[in-house]
Amino acid sequence: MPRVALPTFIILLVCAATAGPARATLMPSGQQPFFGTTDRIRGFDPVQASDVYTVAAISKVYEGLYEFEYLVRPYRVRPLLAESMPEISADRLTYTIHVKKGVRFADDPCFPGGKGRELTAEDFIYSWKRLADTHNRSPRYFNFEGRIVGLDEFRDKSVQQKVDYDKPIEGLRVLDRYTLQILLKAPYPQLTYVLTQAETFAVPREAAEFYGAEFLNHPVGTGPFIVADWRWHNYRIEYVRNPNYHGDTYPTQGEPGDRERGLLVDAGKPLPLLDRVTEYVIADDSTAWLKFLAGDLAMSPISRDNFGAVVTQERELTPELRARGIRLDVALQMATFYVGFNMEDPVVGPNKKLRQALACAVDLKKWVKFYNDRLLPAKGILPPNVEGYDSNAPPAYAFDLERAKRLLTEAGYPDGRDPKTGRRLTLNFDLPQANDPQERQSTDLLAHFFDAIGIELKPSYNNWPEFLKKLERKQCQMYRLGWIVPYPDAINFFDLFYGPNESPGPNESNYKNPEFDKLFEIARVMDDAPERTERFRQMEAIVVRDCPFIFLSHPLSYRLMQPWFKNYKYHDCPYPNSKFYKVDPARMNH
Amino acid sequence: MTAPVLDHVATAAAMPARDTEMAVSLWRTAWRQIRRRRLAMTCLGIIVFYAVVAVYAESVYWYYRLRQETPPYKVVHFEDRFAKPTLQHPLGTDSLGRDVLRQVIQGTRIAFEVGIYTSLIAIPIAVIFGALAGFFGRWVDDLITWVYTVFDSVPYLLFILAIAMVVGKGLFGVCLGIGLTTWVGLCRLIRGEYLKHRDRQYVLAAKSLGVGNLSIIFRHILPNVVHLVIISFSLRFPSAILTEVILSYLGVGVQGEPSWGIMISDAKIRLWQGYWYELGGATVAMFFIVLAFNLFGDALRDALDPKLRTAEAKTA
Amino acid sequence: MLAYIIRRTLYVIPVVIGVALVTFILFNVVGWDAATQMLGRHASKEEIAALRQQLGLTGPKFFNFTAALQGPWWRLFDSQWFHYMKQLATLDFGRSFASNQKISTLMLNGIVPSLVLAVPIFLITLVVSITIAMLAAYYRDTWIDRSIVVASVIGLSVSYLVYIMVAQQVLAYQSGWFPIWGFESAKYLILPVLVGVVSGLGSEVRFFRTVMLDEMYQDYVRTAFAKGCTQNTVLFKHVLKNAMIPVLTSVVLTIPFLYTGNLLLETFFGIPGLGYLNVEAVNSTDYPVIKATVFVGSVLYVIATVITDICYAMVDPRIKLR
Repeated sequence: MPRVALPTFIILLVCAATAGPARATLMPSGQQPFFGTTDRIRGFDPVQASDVYTVAAISKVYEGLYEFEYLVRPYRVRPLLAESMPEISADRLTYTIHVKKGVRFADDPCFPGGKGRELTAEDFIYSWKRLADTHNRSPRYFNFEGRIVGLDEFRDKSVQQKVDYDKPIEGLRVLDRYTLQILLKAPYPQLTYVLTQAETFAVPREAAEFYGAEFLNHPVGTGPFIVADWRWHNYRIEYVRNPNYHGDTYPTQGEPGDRERGLLVDAGKPLPLLDRVTEYVIADDSTAWLKFLAGDLAMSPISRDNFGAVVTQERELTPELRARGIRLDVALQMATFYVGFNMEDPVVGPNKKLRQALACAVDLKKWVKFYNDRLLPAKGILPPNVEGYDSNAPPAYAFDLERAKRLLTEAGYPDGRDPKTGRRLTLNFDLPQANDPQERQSTDLLAHFFDAIGIELKPSYNNWPEFLKKLERKQCQMYRLGWIVPYPDAINFFDLFYGPNESPGPNESNYKNPEFDKLFEIARVMDDAPERTERFRQMEAIVVRDCPFIFLSHPLSYRLMQPWFKNYKYHDCPYPNSKFYKVDPARMNH
Repeated sequence: MTAPVLDHVATAAAMPARDTEMAVSLWRTAWRQIRRRRLAMTCLGIIVFYAVVAVYAESVYWYYRLRQETPPYKVVHFEDRFAKPTLQHPLGTDSLGRDVLRQVIQGTRIAFEVGIYTSLIAIPIAVIFGALAGFFGRWVDDLITWVYTVFDSVPYLLFILAIAMVVGKGLFGVCLGIGLTTWVGLCRLIRGEYLKHRDRQYVLAAKSLGVGNLSIIFRHILPNVVHLVIISFSLRFPSAILTEVILSYLGVGVQGEPSWGIMISDAKIRLWQGYWYELGGATVAMFFIVLAFNLFGDALRDALDPKLRTAEAKTA
Repeated sequence: MLAYIIRRTLYVIPVVIGVALVTFILFNVVGWDAATQMLGRHASKEEIAALRQQLGLTGPKFFNFTAALQGPWWRLFDSQWFHYMKQLATLDFGRSFASNQKISTLMLNGIVPSLVLAVPIFLITLVVSITIAMLAAYYRDTWIDRSIVVASVIGLSVSYLVYIMVAQQVLAYQSGWFPIWGFESAKYLILPVLVGVVSGLGSEVRFFRTVMLDEMYQDYVRTAFAKGCTQNTVLFKHVLKNAMIPVLTSVVLTIPFLYTGNLLLETFFGIPGLGYLNVEAVNSTDYPVIKATVFVGSVLYVIATVITDICYAMVDPRIKLR
């Protein structure tokens, strides 16, 4: 799922500003405007969805067969454009899905007469063919790769020539106007999860063909919003309510405690609850923070530097902020941040003791304090809220300078000096995002840790595309990254260590262990069960022992919210959730 | 009101005869004139002070680098973050507990490095091209004029960003970028001077004696235009520093070492709480050196060749 | 006269080609691996090669000798460079790498906010700085003049960044007089324009003052005073007119740079103009956008110089004789 570098994981700042001053608004007063922030997105083509912001934008306008329940925990999939959960054959190779009737696409000139047509099962088949077509250059095909009968052949053919979308694919069948069937090559229990992902969302053929190369700028979907204005792509996106929306409603079920927090007040009401959403691209964190304080934004994360001034020692809001009615929301994210080693690098790859020494040199207590306790120290790849996490196991590489020095000597670098040259061992460290002070300072802190055992860390700041390129080409020695699950299933975390997933795949450290791979392949096709959890535990133990990563932290999501912003609940896959948000205009005081 | 007497320096420089002797007198008279103006001397003093600080900072950097240890301005004092100014930390500490004053001093070193390296790139290009164009004329001149017209047309900041994007960030990219975009002004002036000088008697005399062209260019005429180089250097320095600050803010500046640009950029997030020290320290440090160089450069220009004050606007 | 205009205009062509050459060398030669960035991590080698083909990054850079030797002679020009020249001639700048949108659309969309910000700054700075410079010339060598000089030198020694940061902190956030960021209405432009004017005043005033004082020390001015003209007459009738020439040059030459947008002002205050676009392009290594804006900016500059020179020729008869 989308990779995001350290400090900017999911920033969905949702702002509410009454400020729309002299501009001609699209709606009369009394309606609900909603301002949010985002980052620059590539466009609205679902097959191009590869980062969190683009997915969030696409999820407002397009929809898929399934989505995650908003309030229920643990996370559960529910049908969105499907009528019900899929009917799975006994051999687990055939999935039959009924599409909801009466769902319409948004009105658009690409349809005859400009009126949106009804959604059919064929739309999904078409969309998935688009995903497979290499001409569309989708980076997200890997979830379907090697799974569906006939789809890979379709994809291979598309490399040489323009494929014919009318030719049927064996593994994607349309049984009738509203029923589709998927034939798998092997059991794939994660398929239902995959069908919640943005790249599988339904796009109408008319729009893709009508707009051609401009399709990514002219989304036509079934989602709760439509794009009203996107004139300046790097500045602002404006969405308005989709008048054709099929009328999905606010959830009626939740977790214990949701009712008390007021999250079920709107149960059963038709979505979306907002008339307009405007999202700004504010590149500068401090500017966004000022805007939040001024009341222009409804929600804000708390940057590290601001933390001490916003949250007290007791993890509560300072009195001034509380007096304004601002609320604090804290949640554990299903993510892990780490320092990765390139196992194919000649210095760190074969030398396990060196990696372990470095791991023991990292003082996670200081690290957590640097981040103002906004994260939990990690001792493995799985975060605490995922099955397979062993809360009783002690961390394998607790901070221990003596042990680190000992391991370092055993690794062949006494006192951190290379005996052959007599100089300090220098390790190259690649990072994304050059102009982020927080990233710079935390790297300085890491360098300080390694300095204590005599090793020099040489950081190299890249921008995001360059960084990805270096990883793909296996050019890094050490790098820093985070992994956020695309869907809340622990198996995702282990994608990072599966041998065949090496660069340019998600296994950027190029870690290869046949024992691990065997366990992974078995666990992958198991349904959720205690046996699977046991396998997770074994797999994690192997990974921790081999130390291809230094596990750093699991982030906590701290969000501040204005008093008039309602219905927010932290979700690990929050992309479509703006349809649930509400603004209380009476309490906005501009 | 009285019209000012044209300084005898300027009239002396206008006389064509005795040019080599003139060069020496020019410097002496210039120096005398500068010495008389208190403001210029103060600025010179400030510049010298900063240069000493920069040398000190450079020696600190190399000392620790050669010994492979962490220099004190990088040492992290976790417990002491965001401290207010005290005797031990006269400007307080930053987000990792590092001393702000020490970082400001290191910033001086980076500023001087930027100023010097950009000059080392821009000035030779400008002098060589300007000399060749002015001296040889005809197609050489046309070619070089075309080259600098092209470079002059490219939007300044954008070009530097593009170079940094392609060549890579850090000191080298920044200096290369600034160097490659700022040589044109000096080149024009030097070309103008060479055009004037090549018909002077001393040059014709040298030619008739059989002195080679290159020798004439660099040994005979060049000393007469060196004052332009000096003025250009002292005016280019502050502008390079200011540009580096902007580039650091945009993320393409110096990496890994504390520069004033990075300090200003880092300080932004703390402003709303009233922590002005990091911002203030870097800004004030930068302000004085930029001011000093600007004022001194002006005084230098007035002493060496007052006609230059509006020269840039008049050369087409 | 006409000959001069024609000659001057024709000179534009080699300069434009030179600029194209510079951008080509920078982006196609030095940094040519754009296809990999666009496709991302999961692309195969074939896909990358296919995209390179599509974008014209394959093949010989300048001249295609192998093709010319094998086939018809005009295939010599089947290379990246000539392909690029053709694109420029048809104003087809391709698509942005980061967002896959047509660059010409991006630039057209961005021009309006840039101009809306830059033109007021330009005009106001011009008027205010000339006024102050004339004040300085009028009261030269008095304390008024000296304080103006001091103020302008101090003004230009402070980094642009600091002006912007302090303005946003104090005038927007703390006092609440102005909006912090955005481009929603005219109100949002006041603060950036103010900052732009104030930060540019220093160097402008200094320059104009120098120009005027130099004029005032000319012989003809001495004559005028000797004849008994008053300060006012001399200043307004004689000096101002002659001082206009260098002023005009400097002013006209800044016009093309209005379009590149004030990078810092736009990013800080959220004005979605060309400067904002450029900074985003640099941050996402979006080569085609920067390539296009550098080229267009240069062309505008060249055109402005031609216009200036022609204006000069019309005003100053000496130049025509060159």
